[in-house]
Amino acid sequence: MTDQSATVLQERGRRQSLQLLGVLCGFTAGAWLGAAEAPTKLVSIGVSPIVISLIMVVGVFLARWSLPALVLGTSSVRADVHRAPHLIIWALLAGCLWAVANTLTIFAIRDIGLSIAFPLWNSNSLLGIFWGFLFFNELRQAGWRRWAGVLGGAMVMCVGATILAIASAGQSSSGHSMNGMWAALGAGVLWGTMYIPYRKAYLTGMNPLSFVTFFTFGELGMMSALAFSYIGAAPLWHELTQTRNVVFWLMLGGFIWVIGDLFQQYAAKYVGISRGIPLSNTNQFWGLLWGILVFGELHGKTQATYLQVIGGSLLMMLGVAAISLSSATGEEQQYWKEAAQRESARYGVAEEFVAARFEGRQAAGEIVPRRTAVDWLLVAIATSILAGFALIARVPQFSFRWGPALALTIVSLLLLFVCGRKLWRTTGFH
Amino acid sequence: MPTDQTSRGWLVSIFTDIHFWVPAAVLLAGLLLLRFIH
Repeated sequence: MTDQSATVLQERGRRQSLQLLGVLCGFTAGAWLGAAEAPTKLVSIGVSPIVISLIMVVGVFLARWSLPALVLGTSSVRADVHRAPHLIIWALLAGCLWAVANTLTIFAIRDIGLSIAFPLWNSNSLLGIFWGFLFFNELRQAGWRRWAGVLGGAMVMCVGATILAIASAGQSSSGHSMNGMWAALGAGVLWGTMYIPYRKAYLTGMNPLSFVTFFTFGELGMMSALAFSYIGAAPLWHELTQTRNVVFWLMLGGFIWVIGDLFQQYAAKYVGISRGIPLSNTNQFWGLLWGILVFGELHGKTQATYLQVIGGSLLMMLGVAAISLSSATGEEQQYWKEAAQRESARYGVAEEFVAARFEGRQAAGEIVPRRTAVDWLLVAIATSILAGFALIARVPQFSFRWGPALALTIVSLLLLFVCGRKLWRTTGFH
Repeated sequence: MPTDQTSRGWLVSIFTDIHFWVPAAVLLAGLLLLRFIH
């Protein structure tokens, strides 16, 4: 075997390994994003949804700074920002998009109920496929089988999600159904478009751990602005003090959500947004598992409801399988590389750095990130704040099944361990 | 750290990039929609 053919084989093996990693990250993201719903189910007080969302975002903020500090250290974040400072603007923009979309979903659920709202905003995966194709050369030269796998898989998942939403949702209607429809569609468009900055950042070589630390400023800033403008400072403060006993559960939900989101970011990096978004959208399936098995949400429902849940779950799994088996070919990845080179030339980021990060490795001469005292301080502050609220948290009286909760926790931790280990061994979290 | 000139350089690159204006326009539309339905 010549050196050239050995190199080609090595490159192909690396590409396949990164694709597999991306699929695994998408699947793990779904499990953790779904698990994040569990702590919030413990909160059943009469508080404004915007306040609940704001408290969760504060938990998200703590996690988005402490987890990257713990995994790679903030020196890695500083180095990334030094290389590609323009990505701060993209991260802030993505965070603002997320906050507005999240607020719109609250209004959508209030006005038309989850069963109608969810499929409408879940269309974000179809929009993500469109943006990925249009702006980032995804699915170019992919062949009809891969197109059918990705597009068909995403559509089958949307149908499955619709059935699950119908099975799980209690209908609610406030007489503003058109507003609710617009809100749900708007949330889908905002979330689908949010992936443009994601992909932009990862094609230019930014580490997902660095991206989320700035993303969260946009998220928290926009969410606070919305809460102040819609509720007002004094009523907001009053509601926040009223909720102090449940702040821990909401922040914990936010913290768990960030773990899922980190894997979603890595999925967007290694399989692109057209495949990464539908895979992480399996969170609805996991959320429903927690709801049914742990909180007994469908207890006493008809057999038809259970059949809907089984059918919807099977369709979601079918969609996941179709997308997972449609990984990008070498030809398609060549187009991704061209998109990355375009970004590198436009923003003056070193080509070697972009190419190295594209392949999930460190660039030559790049300093190995190390944790410093600042990182441990950040971790300590975040832990103390969570522990402080945990001390005053009230455990609500709730129907809770420990066996299934333990089983789902073990599965989630197992996925975290397997995927985290593979990420570390394949890319060193780059 | 980047100098003022390089900062201006990447700011110009962002503001002349269609990829920036699509999410920015969608964000603006989302805020208007939120104001309308609230």
